[in-house]
Amino acid sequence: MQAQQRGAVREAKGRDLGTASNTIAGPEADLAPKSGHKVVRVGPDGEAWLEASRCSNCGAVMAERTRACRSCGARNTLVPFRPKAIGTLYSWTVVYRSFPGIKVPFVSAVVDVDGGLALKGTLRIDDHDSLKFGMPVRIEFDDAGGAKDKDGRPYVGFHFVAEGASA
Amino acid sequence: MSDTFIVGADMIKFGRYPDSSPFELAADAALLALDDASLTIQDVQAVFAGSTFNSASMVAQRMLQLIGQTGAPCFNVSNACAAGATAVRQAILAVKSGEYDVVLAVGAEKNPRGLMGGALTDGPPPEGLFGSVAPPSFFAEAGMIHVNRYGTTIEQIAQVAVKNHHHSTMNPKAAYQIETPLEEVLASEMIAWPLTKLMCSPNVDGAAAVIIVSEKKAREMGMGRAVRIRGSALVSDPFEPRTPDMFDPNTVARLGAAKAYEQAGLGPEDLDMVELHDCFAVAELLHYENLGLCADGEAARLIDSGETALGGRLPVNVSGGLLAKGHPIGATGVANIVEIVYHLRGEAGARQVEGARIGLAHVLGFASVAACGVHILEKA
Repeated sequence: MQAQQRGAVREAKGRDLGTASNTIAGPEADLAPKSGHKVVRVGPDGEAWLEASRCSNCGAVMAERTRACRSCGARNTLVPFRPKAIGTLYSWTVVYRSFPGIKVPFVSAVVDVDGGLALKGTLRIDDHDSLKFGMPVRIEFDDAGGAKDKDGRPYVGFHFVAEGASA
Repeated sequence: MSDTFIVGADMIKFGRYPDSSPFELAADAALLALDDASLTIQDVQAVFAGSTFNSASMVAQRMLQLIGQTGAPCFNVSNACAAGATAVRQAILAVKSGEYDVVLAVGAEKNPRGLMGGALTDGPPPEGLFGSVAPPSFFAEAGMIHVNRYGTTIEQIAQVAVKNHHHSTMNPKAAYQIETPLEEVLASEMIAWPLTKLMCSPNVDGAAAVIIVSEKKAREMGMGRAVRIRGSALVSDPFEPRTPDMFDPNTVARLGAAKAYEQAGLGPEDLDMVELHDCFAVAELLHYENLGLCADGEAARLIDSGETALGGRLPVNVSGGLLAKGHPIGATGVANIVEIVYHLRGEAGARQVEGARIGLAHVLGFASVAACGVHILEKA
């Protein structure tokens, strides 16, 4: 998966569409990178951050853009916040068989992110034996495997890496 | 309100039916259940059909088209793996309402082949990019919580598959009837750690049906082979902080079990047998605790003890479970009930749970959200 995504990044850089960190202006502005995941937000300058909501009534944290708090049902109580891109590993599996065309193995991980958000993502780690419950991880934004929408706009995604690992 | 009774119950052999439609499978199961009850389709006043992939095509009416278009009202329900249990529960409520005395509930499914799942999102396909959305991964991640908390081993998880596949060798209607020793379960293809292929339920086709009647009708028919419905609960997943990214099969199952036990006025200590939703081997361990069959953290000890194998204190999944009998999604929730009925009547053949009087059937449906159906049945 890592090799595949690195390949996709190289391919994207080879074209004129740019990447998440390479903003496009002017008439091609509609090809600016966009969010490829419910918790990812992308600013006009291409900067990406995490965003989730916390209910001011019950304190529940949720990633989904809901119509009301899915914990207590209160309306107009969800306050957006920006979790820091760090967390700890809550659970994982190493996926060896996936849908056709998906490169395996990869680590599917659930991370307790800063601020009470739980997030599933792919943990890029070479040594599966080094996976440990509660280990610190960092969230890195990426080009979502080179995926683009139907108009050719690139997505911004994310993956986890072990804290302390080089990017 | 008066009780309801199952007076007919049967299923077709689960497996691959490339030349049959799901409506034909439903029809075959319905006819078996009608014959079992010595009733005809003209006696049936309403039909409830559970199916997940085929529900939009009006399974119940298409089935009547094959066995008798009597004009009876039809209700086509879809609720992921809980579709069959939902159909049964709605059939029970229809009889309890007093409007009907005889209703048919059927679950039927032609499953798609291969790994299920794949989210309907407007972004890039998530699989691999944002972890895994394939069902084995969800259950593997839920199971890993148990591994972390209690030290459960892959061998203990594998023992569930060994047990249920062994049970299936005594069930001629199971899709697979093959002994799978521990070494074989562990050596089969790794799908999502710690789940190997033999710890995952196979995608097969199937159908099962039950006839549910009022107490008045049951007495009229004679109670000889009737089974009393003591509890019928259907619940959805309440809010849990880590969901849906962290799949939680436990909260919803505990809620469903609590409601069913309360309705029945019974507890886990009263059960003689259980058919539970072992879609993946580790799910059986989680549901031992969710259904109160053992204390939290004791599931691995329970499988090790042999108490949940046929001949043990509380046999679980003597049908072979979803792991060996197969898991035709919408049919599963009805088939689990059919299995309990066989045993309460003493008609389960080589796998008969001796003296079974009370049994519990459980299913869990999920598609990032969840549903749980629990039925408690008693020999009438």
